[in-house]
Amino acid sequence: MNHIEEQLWNYIDGTCTADEQSAINKLIASDEAVRVKYHELLALNTEFATMELDEPSMAFTYNVIEAIRTEQAQAPLKAAINKRIIMGIALFFVLTLTGFLVFAFTKMDFAAMGSVNLGVKVPANFKMPEVSTAFSKPLVEGFMFFDVVLGLFLFDAYLRRKKQAHTN
Amino acid sequence: MQSKLSDIELIDQVLAGNQAAYADLVKRHQRFVFTLAMRFAKGREDAEEIAQDCFIKAYRSLASFQRQSKFSTWLYSIVYTTAMTFLRKRRVDTDSIDDEDTYIQVENQSSAYDVNDAENKSRSFYLNQAIEQLLPDDATIITMFYKGEQSLEEIAQAMGMEANTIKVKLFRARQRLKEKLERNLKHEAKELI
Repeated sequence: MNHIEEQLWNYIDGTCTADEQSAINKLIASDEAVRVKYHELLALNTEFATMELDEPSMAFTYNVIEAIRTEQAQAPLKAAINKRIIMGIALFFVLTLTGFLVFAFTKMDFAAMGSVNLGVKVPANFKMPEVSTAFSKPLVEGFMFFDVVLGLFLFDAYLRRKKQAHTN
Repeated sequence: MQSKLSDIELIDQVLAGNQAAYADLVKRHQRFVFTLAMRFAKGREDAEEIAQDCFIKAYRSLASFQRQSKFSTWLYSIVYTTAMTFLRKRRVDTDSIDDEDTYIQVENQSSAYDVNDAENKSRSFYLNQAIEQLLPDDATIITMFYKGEQSLEEIAQAMGMEANTIKVKLFRARQRLKEKLERNLKHEAKELI
């Protein structure tokens, strides 16, 4: 009977082959016990389909969206900021520091260091390359202008990303 | 207007940055996801936690959804995995998730509740009560088949099993459900006499 029941369920679900379907059709028509079983399973099938779904709390959707927002807000800054921005900031600092270092070295008076013994022997005829003339006013202004533009560009990119994260 | 959009259209909107579209997706599937979670958790608070966790995981992985199956099938596979993880965690306090005795307690609790709530009883009430007494896998397969609009192949995909295995499991689950339904109704008839 178990095998018949399994076949009947397949027949009801429509998962049996055409041959099996035709064989079960014949069985239902000819065998009273099978017919009774078929109608019993058919009634059960209809009843199972009436099962009710549970309802979550009213605030469920709100809670899910809030949880997602909180998770996004708590995302580490490293993940939130584009790597190109980080690289840009690094470049900005490297350029600025290099500029200042070169400028400072060219302005340094090494002759005044004679009284300070650092254990380093500077050749008597050593002279720092004369680059101070290269630091003309337009060049320094151009350099500062480039730094300011780069800084503003990076700041703008950061604000745009922040705004986009908020709208999401 | 928004509710008429298909799941895929809503997903496209979410991926384009419209978070409100995801709220629509959640609203559309929350009852079924919550019901599946109830099949495992047997308590509303835990079920809500599982269901919420599923939607958050789905949101995180939405970009990786391949669209080779229905969104619901993909979502139910997340529910099944999350719920199984929940059961494994809870297993520390219980013997086995496959042990039907684990659910006898639930059965007995339901019987005690019945006496005080006789007015609300209906055929549907007994059906839901019988489903609650099934093992989580059986209850999940029955629920997905009858309420999730999922084929045997889709259920198999969601549960990570073979379609033939699901077919056999569905047959057995229906038998057990029928037995439990009959037993509950007999038990109730005796109490009324």
